[in-house]
Amino acid sequence: MATALDLSNLPDADVVALAQAGREPAFRELIRRYERPVFSLIYRMIRDRELAEDLAQDTFIKVLNHIDRYRPEFKLSSWLFKIANNVAIDHLRRRQLDTISMDGSPHAATSDAIESTSFEVAGSQESPLEELEAKELGNAIEQAIGQLRPEYRSCIMLRHVEGRSYEEIATTLDLPLGTVKTYIHRARHELRRALEHLKAEGEV
Amino acid sequence: MNHRHLLPTEIDLLLDDEEGFGVAPLKAHVRACPECLARLEEARIVSDAIEELPHFAPSFSFADSIMAQVPVYVPWHVAARDTVRSAIQRWAPASRPARVAVVGLAAAVASVLTIGILWIATQTDLLVFATGIADTRLRELLLTGGRDAMTSLFGAQTVALASQAGTAGLVLLVGGFLGVTAAATFGLRTIALSSSRRRA
Repeated sequence: MATALDLSNLPDADVVALAQAGREPAFRELIRRYERPVFSLIYRMIRDRELAEDLAQDTFIKVLNHIDRYRPEFKLSSWLFKIANNVAIDHLRRRQLDTISMDGSPHAATSDAIESTSFEVAGSQESPLEELEAKELGNAIEQAIGQLRPEYRSCIMLRHVEGRSYEEIATTLDLPLGTVKTYIHRARHELRRALEHLKAEGEV
Repeated sequence: MNHRHLLPTEIDLLLDDEEGFGVAPLKAHVRACPECLARLEEARIVSDAIEELPHFAPSFSFADSIMAQVPVYVPWHVAARDTVRSAIQRWAPASRPARVAVVGLAAAVASVLTIGILWIATQTDLLVFATGIADTRLRELLLTGGRDAMTSLFGAQTVALASQAGTAGLVLLVGGFLGVTAAATFGLRTIALSSSRRRA
């Protein structure tokens, strides 16, 4: 049986095959590989950490409980992101929340809760000034992403955060290729406008 | 020559590093147009900033919470394969020469058995003939033995009478015998029980 170290070097299709054979380490390896991207996508869509974790768990539970349906010609990550996007969009529609705020969850009642649910991006540059600029830009980007329509938001994140091609995004979200290109184009346009606006206000 | 500035969709094409017939003129224009170059650079800054957004990590118990709700089933063919493998690992000799000897011996036994079965299969006619003879002899043995037993139990005259009556007579004779036996057994048991109660 493959050890945990071996599993990390296997492609997704091989790990899924082991999971289909009832190997629990294979299930955990799949969770380890995709927990951050899936959680991040949902968290940026709904910006409530606790709820995002519940929805991310639901995503994995749905996929892993039907792992026998997986076909190797398709990417496991696409399947995961598709379900993650759907659960996030469903939640937003139920709660009628189209935009998210950088300034804490709408359900936060205390200052501690607001602080813990606010988006804060860490910079990774070398000099303090560069780090501050990167951090401010990152925060501005997060704020601007939160103002996008959910459909634009998921497309732009899959394109730039997850590095998916247009074709993969179209397959993942069940959208025509032209629609994906349009959404990404509009998202970029709105983000540029939002950043210009923030720059003009001196916030970036 | 195209003197207009690039459209936003054309900026996107360059941003996505698209290749193709229509991209070369766009690249040429950007090299020659400072305004479009600046727009492309601004768009690239935004894209790079999005690409550098970090992944957030869920809580430490995330995986455990998921696995608590994902039953892991081992398919029957995998379980069977695992059982055979573990049995082989348990019983196989440790050294390579010993393993080779065991495999060789198993192959020899399997070969002998296979040849034996094939030989028997080619002797089908002989088998059928031998089975028929054995069947006939067994029937004769049973009939003779049964007749002798009935004669000793009921006497030759009773057996002759029953034989004349045919199957019905035989059934009547055997059934009667069994009924008498059962009645005698029940009567003896009743007597024994009543005497043991009296003694108690």
